[in-house]
Amino acid sequence: MARRILIVDDHPGFRRSAARSLGAAGWEVVGEAEDGAAALRLVPEREPDVVLLDIGLPDVSGIEVARQLLERSPGLAVVMVSTHDRADYGELATASGARGFLSKMDLSATALEALVES
Amino acid sequence: MSGRIEQAVARAVSSATDAADAYLRALEAIGRALGWEVAAAWEPEEDGEHLACSVIWKGDADAADFVAQTMSSHFVAGEGLPGEVWTAGHARWIVDAASDRRLPRREAAAVAGLHSAVAFPVRSERGVVGVIEGFCATATDPDAELLERLEVVGSQIGQLIERRRAERSGATAELRYRATVEASLDCVITMDHRGDVIEFNPAAERTFGYAGEEAVGREMAELIVPPELRERHREGLRRYLETGEPTLLGSRIEIEATRRDGSRFPVELTITRIDVPGDPVFTAHLRDITERLRIERDLRESRARLVKAADEARQRIERDLHDGSQQQLVSVAMTLQAAASAVESDPAVARELLEEASAELRSAIGELRELARGIHPAVLTEGGLDPALRGLATRSGMPATITAVPKDRFPAAVEAAAYFVAAEGMTNAARHAEASRVEVAVWRGDDALEVEVRDDGRGGASAEGGGLRGLADRVAALGGELEVRSPAGEGTILRAVIPCES
Repeated sequence: MARRILIVDDHPGFRRSAARSLGAAGWEVVGEAEDGAAALRLVPEREPDVVLLDIGLPDVSGIEVARQLLERSPGLAVVMVSTHDRADYGELATASGARGFLSKMDLSATALEALVES
Repeated sequence: MSGRIEQAVARAVSSATDAADAYLRALEAIGRALGWEVAAAWEPEEDGEHLACSVIWKGDADAADFVAQTMSSHFVAGEGLPGEVWTAGHARWIVDAASDRRLPRREAAAVAGLHSAVAFPVRSERGVVGVIEGFCATATDPDAELLERLEVVGSQIGQLIERRRAERSGATAELRYRATVEASLDCVITMDHRGDVIEFNPAAERTFGYAGEEAVGREMAELIVPPELRERHREGLRRYLETGEPTLLGSRIEIEATRRDGSRFPVELTITRIDVPGDPVFTAHLRDITERLRIERDLRESRARLVKAADEARQRIERDLHDGSQQQLVSVAMTLQAAASAVESDPAVARELLEEASAELRSAIGELRELARGIHPAVLTEGGLDPALRGLATRSGMPATITAVPKDRFPAAVEAAAYFVAAEGMTNAARHAEASRVEVAVWRGDDALEVEVRDDGRGGASAEGGGLRGLADRVAALGGELEVRSPAGEGTILRAVIPCES
C-alpha cells in the first residue's frame, strides 16, 4: 500500500494540517514543497508514492506541474487539491492525468486512500 | 434739349453714392437745365399713404421759407401738386403756383417769387415710386412736349435709382459676407475651377501659417493637402468639372491637412460650390480637430481604465479572499477535525488543537474585517468622512494628522472619492515615500469638496503610476481634477477638487 507522500501547497497552514492529519493515519510525509519548482525538484529526490498537489501555486499552475511530473514518472499517483470545489476544477484535474481531485475541506486519509487505490 | 437732360441725369446718377445722392444729383441736373429755382423729390412714406419730401435742391433764389415748408409737408394721394401727380401717374404743369388756390404752399411760393411749377412721376418696374417737382421764377405756359420728355426722364431716374439701390444692397451683402468670413473661427478657403486659392481668411492664416496674400493665387492642393493626397484632390476636381458628379461636395469629412512647416493635423471639412455665373467656385470650411480628437481619446482611455481598474479590483479581492481567510478557514476545519479524532484517544492533544483552531479563526475574522474595509469602509457610509478619515489616520503605519474635515455629509460618490484620495496618499506616504509624517485636510470649496494630502517623504511620485492614475480617473469621472506635486526630495502633495452641489 502506498504510504509515502509529498505535500505541495503555498499555504503553510494547509501543509501543517494535512501533514498532521495524514501522519496520524499512518502516512509518511516525505517532504513539503511551496511551489511548482520545488515539487519538480523534490519528487525524484524523495521518491513519494503520492503527490498531494495544490492547483493554485504561485509560480506555475498545479495542472502544469502534474503534467510534467507524470511525464517523468508515469506510475506516480498525483491527487489535486484546491479550496475550490470539484465543480470548478475536477475535470481540469482529471484531464491533466492526475488520479483525482479533492476539495481541501474533504481531505482525510480515508478519502485520499480511496482515490489512490481506485 | 431733353436729350441733354437725359444725358445730364444719367451722368449725375451714375456718380451717386446712394439713392438720396442720386436724387439730389438728378434734381440739380434737371434744375440747371430747365432754369428751375427749387426742385424737390417726393417719395411715399412707410405707411404707403403719404408722400414726403425726401430730397430738395435749391438754386440761387432766396426761398428758405418755401424750402422749409416743402420739407415739412406730407401729402395724401391727390393732395397738392406731388399728390396729384402720384395719383394720376402723369406730369402736370401749373402756370402760376403762387396764385393757384389748390396748392397748400402757394403763399410761401409767392413770397419766394416762384411761379411756374412742373411735376412728373418717377417710375420703375414697381410703378410710380416717387414724384419730382420743380419751380421757376417766371410764369410760363405749359410745354406739352417738355412734359412728355420729363415723363421719360422720370422713368430713366426711377430705373437708375433702383439699380443703384440694388447695387448698394449687393455691396452691403458683400460687406456682410466679408465680415462673417473674416471673423469666422473656421478656416474659410475658396478656390476657383483651376484649384487656385482666391480667398484665404484670417483663421486659415493662423491655422496654416500663410498670409492671405501669399496664399491667394497658389494651388490649394499644394498649400494644405498632404503630398500623397494631392493627386486624388486634383483628380476629384477634374472629374467634377467634367461630369458634374461630386465626390466630397456637401458632405462632412475628416481628413489630414498640412501646415506651411509640413506638420500635419486632423481637420473636419465641408466643401460647397458657390453659385456664381461662369466657372464654378468652391469654398472649403475647415476646422482643426486635434484637440477634439485628443479629448475623445482621453475619454475613451479613461473609461477603459475605469473598467479595467474595476476588474482588477475584483480579481484582487478574489485573491485576497482565497489566499487569506479562505485558507485560514480550511485550516480551522482541518484542525477541528484533527481535534475531534483526538478527543477520546488523547484529550490533551485535542485541547491543544482546539486552542489552535480558535486562534486561527480569530485571525481569519481580523483578515476579513480588513478586507471588507478595503472594499468600502462601512464607517464612511454610516458616519461620513470625519470618522472614516480619523479611523484611517489611527490605523496608518505612521504619524498621520487630519488637520481639517467637514462634519457634513456629501453625495456617496464624492465622499468615496475623497476618502480614497486620502487613503492612497497615506498609503503611498507610508509604503513608498519613506515619509515621517503625513497631513490630510478636507474642506468645502466653491461648489466642490477639496482634499489635500501632504507628506514629508522623498517625492518623485508619478501621476501616471497605477494607483494615482486610477485615482485621477475616479475623480475625473465625477468632473473633478487630481493634481500631484512631487518634486524629488521635497515631499508629495496630492490635491483633489471634486465638484458637488453645496
